Amino acid sequence: MTALVQARDVTYHYPDGTPALDTVAFTVAAGERVALLGPTGAGKSTLLQSLNGLLRPSAGAVLVGGVAVNDETVTAVRRRVGLVFQNPDDQLFLPSLLEDVAFGPLNAGASRAEAATRSHAVLEALGLAAAHDRAAHHLSGGERRLAALATVLVSQPDLLVLDEPSGDLDARSRRRLRDILAERREALLVATHDLEFVRGLCSRALVLVAGKLAWDGALDVLLADRAMMERFGLVA
Amino acid sequence: MSFRHLDRFAQVRSPVTRVPAAGRVFGTVVLALATATLPAGAWVQLGLLAAVSLALLAIAHVPLRVALARLAWPLGLVLLASLALLVVMPGEPLARLGPVAVTAQGADRFAMVMGRAMVALLPAVLLVSTTSFPELLQGLRELRVPVAVATALGLAYRLLYLTVDELERLQRAARSRHAGGGVTRRRHLITAIAAATLGRAFVRAERTHAAMLARGFRGTLPLLHAPVWTYRAVLNVAAVSILVLAVAASARLP
Ligand SMILES: Nc1ncnc2c1ncn2[C@@H]1O[C@H](COP(=O)(O)OP(=O)(O)OP(=O)(O)O)[C@@H](O)[C@H]1O
Ligand SMILES: [Mg+2]
Repeated sequence: MTALVQARDVTYHYPDGTPALDTVAFTVAAGERVALLGPTGAGKSTLLQSLNGLLRPSAGAVLVGGVAVNDETVTAVRRRVGLVFQNPDDQLFLPSLLEDVAFGPLNAGASRAEAATRSHAVLEALGLAAAHDRAAHHLSGGERRLAALATVLVSQPDLLVLDEPSGDLDARSRRRLRDILAERREALLVATHDLEFVRGLCSRALVLVAGKLAWDGALDVLLADRAMMERFGLVA
Repeated sequence: MSFRHLDRFAQVRSPVTRVPAAGRVFGTVVLALATATLPAGAWVQLGLLAAVSLALLAIAHVPLRVALARLAWPLGLVLLASLALLVVMPGEPLARLGPVAVTAQGADRFAMVMGRAMVALLPAVLLVSTTSFPELLQGLRELRVPVAVATALGLAYRLLYLTVDELERLQRAARSRHAGGGVTRRRHLITAIAAATLGRAFVRAERTHAAMLARGFRGTLPLLHAPVWTYRAVLNVAAVSILVLAVAASARLP
């Protein structure tokens, strides 16, 4: 079976010279749920953006469905790898929620009627149906987070990539988001500092420390090893 | 009032919003051009065109107070630019301001420039108040404005929006931390806020652009709702345009 996503020794330096990723290698299989952990500045967001071609590795390669990400394949790759950004405000920019959700399908060439139908269905599934004609900046933080998720789910990606999805959510909204994610069948890659959020949701963990992959294994094993967690800077 | 509520009358159903965006852009251009090209002294025609704009604002349920408030900024710029007219036009001196004389011809010309600017800006205020930005872009595209221009406008708008949004945030943060402070201190604060605002807006614009790319954006903003040209809308745009052109033409009659 080909891996859904394969990172082959991905190395990345920001244009200003900051090294962010250093020969990171791993694969994610279809339907797998993976937590991406690591202290702040470890390179998590950078890695996520390289998975759907927003950033191109300085060295190494990313393969999606066995196909290398390049200018020709990037459109298809973005349809398979759905990225939910850390800040929902960056993702929602149209006058109404429905239009924001329909943006992806319309870009992919769906008809207006089809885009509207699919968008309504996703909003319904996330409990946002009543808010479909409201502007994103009139939603609460938790609703906004779900809305950002909706804009990605509507394109039916194979891998759902989330950057800090539980940040600034209250306990109830966090619980709700987690329940929704637990029911999805797409593969999941969740970058987070919130260990409770991924406990039980993800089965595997990748740990980045200073741009290097420091650990790749079962999440339970990692969470049970206090000494290792401290060494990776995951607990105080 | 927050910048992002600029188009808050776009959701108000009215004969104006029932005209597709392309028609609204067209009408705005006709009305603004007709006003801006009125010859000096055509006060009656200026008044008639002002009446047309004010009537359209009323039909669209945009309160006059709001329209005038939105006029203030651009009008202030015109005012600054045309103050020189008061003194550089040769003619009979009306009053002396220090070393320079204000001439009657200068005052007349100045009044006409300001009047024309005010009336020409009214339809533009109506347009941005009643048209959401994606609609506006769509309208521009239908009028064969090049995609590159429409997209550049879209991104510029986005940056402007983010700048104001960041500004509001930073102001709130600054206000909550510095309740008072002297003039110097406030001036320092304002400079710091201005610098931080621009920096942050750029970073956010870049992130938004990345988020758009991640969802397959390829340079054009797709619209969920196709504009619908009803018979009534066509008739309304045609009627207003003909009226405006007739008024403008009457100012040129010998
Ligand atoms: N646009 C940029 N230009 C230059 N350097 C950057 C840029 N974005 C991030 N970096 C740097 O790259 C490194 C990795 O950053 P990244 O945002 O990927 O970390 P992260 O693991 O997501 O951190 P956090 O948990 O705080 O979100 C950091 O040293 C950071 O300062
Ligand atoms: Mg990050």
